[in-house]
Amino acid sequence: MILVLVVVTALGFDFTNGFHDTANAMATSIATRALRPKVAVALSGILNLIGAFLSVEVALTVSNAVVRIQNADGTPKESLTSDGGTALLLIVLAGLIGGIVWNLLTWLLGLPSSSSHALFGGLVGATIAGLGWAGVNWNGNGSKLDGVVGKVILPALISPVIAGVVAAVGTWLIYKVTVGVAARFTENGFRWGQIGSASLVSLAHGTNDAQKTMGVITLALIASGEWTDTKSIPFWVKAACALAIALGTYLGGWRIIRTLGKGLVEIAPPQGMAAESASAAVILASSHLGFALSTTHVATGSILGSGVGRPGAQVRWRVAGRMAATWLITLPAAAMVGALMWYLGDFVGGVAGAIVIFALLLVAAGGMWLRSRLAPVDHTNVNDEWDEPAAAAERVPAGATH
Amino acid sequence: MSNLGFALEGAWKVLLAGLILGAGLPVLFALGIRSLAHGAGGEGAQPRPAGKVMAGTLFAIVVLGVLLGLTYIVASGFGKTISFDHVWPAIVDK
Repeated sequence: MILVLVVVTALGFDFTNGFHDTANAMATSIATRALRPKVAVALSGILNLIGAFLSVEVALTVSNAVVRIQNADGTPKESLTSDGGTALLLIVLAGLIGGIVWNLLTWLLGLPSSSSHALFGGLVGATIAGLGWAGVNWNGNGSKLDGVVGKVILPALISPVIAGVVAAVGTWLIYKVTVGVAARFTENGFRWGQIGSASLVSLAHGTNDAQKTMGVITLALIASGEWTDTKSIPFWVKAACALAIALGTYLGGWRIIRTLGKGLVEIAPPQGMAAESASAAVILASSHLGFALSTTHVATGSILGSGVGRPGAQVRWRVAGRMAATWLITLPAAAMVGALMWYLGDFVGGVAGAIVIFALLLVAAGGMWLRSRLAPVDHTNVNDEWDEPAAAAERVPAGATH
Repeated sequence: MSNLGFALEGAWKVLLAGLILGAGLPVLFALGIRSLAHGAGGEGAQPRPAGKVMAGTLFAIVVLGVLLGLTYIVASGFGKTISFDHVWPAIVDK
């Protein structure tokens, strides 16, 4: 029973992961009208689906970066499975709920925040509640970049800066190179450049992010004895995760697309291409070098950089500042929700506890969805002019969420 | 070495690769567009074949770069990675 809830919640997280991150790849193409909004999210969704199916390798040890609930080979710690896996499942369930609630809240506010950091935050909080501070892998063992500091905090500080510099340099040079070239050449050319680079980002996102949820579900299956192979994952898990992330992407987090595409800077096609190329290159290079970073942070940094690099462009630093503040509190905020959920689930106990916190998640998600209906943002108004006061009025008290 | 050391070591490599691929390729692409416009000639001017050839070459380099990225994504999905040990990229086991 708890296992079913964990699987459903994990797929729910995967879904929010998809619609939260559509903006990373497609915000620029939508803002510059290189693609119509619906076409853009459909393209991104399909590429995420393909990407998710492409990931044959098992990301079973994904949680090892931040918490100690698994052995190095991916099997769950024996101490957590002695009671049929309930101890581990409750930690994972509470952690996932923390991640989803944070993803939905930031979506409601139209703020891009890292889905992986939300998941890690939720898991860290649930682990602190369940196993104490020692259950968290804070700093790694000093042999490689690892732990909460190495995999979450440092990359979050560094990656937007790298992406921003790359995009700024690219934008500046592109404007230098194409100065005086007739618009009929630049318009069409950069349109295709943008679509190509944004597609690469979508594909890379599908391979990376769907894998994390696949790993979490497989971990839960192993913990409850439903699966034993640490080298492969059940096909239905892969298919379900791929579909969940693709559907989420297709649904589109229009609020976040709007913030990234219109809120930060007014994006012209050359900037869009520079920003997405920078994102694609930085994401691929860092994953090649084992430097874990968040697609969201990279995409935001790139778009910001494309504004800095274009002569005379206006950058809304207030919006950027609000995003940076969100990134800082993503981990602790998701951790608090995760921890609260674990305490509550543990207090009620057993299957009933899991059901109670799952029900709370449904209430929170439904509440935020209803709240979003008051000021809907969708494919029809995603490109409207940006005016600060309207965005500020969308804020809701944080206490309304749990 | 501390996490900060590892992070800075990784960061400059990512920055370098990002500048070459993420800023370099788009600039080549922009140069290609410029050549294309040059090749077509201005108002009333004669088309210049050299511009088209130049544009084709530049676009081909950009396409190769994109293919490299695609190969990496697909390869990493199968548990492989691309090695640059011999300058020329080769697919190897992780």
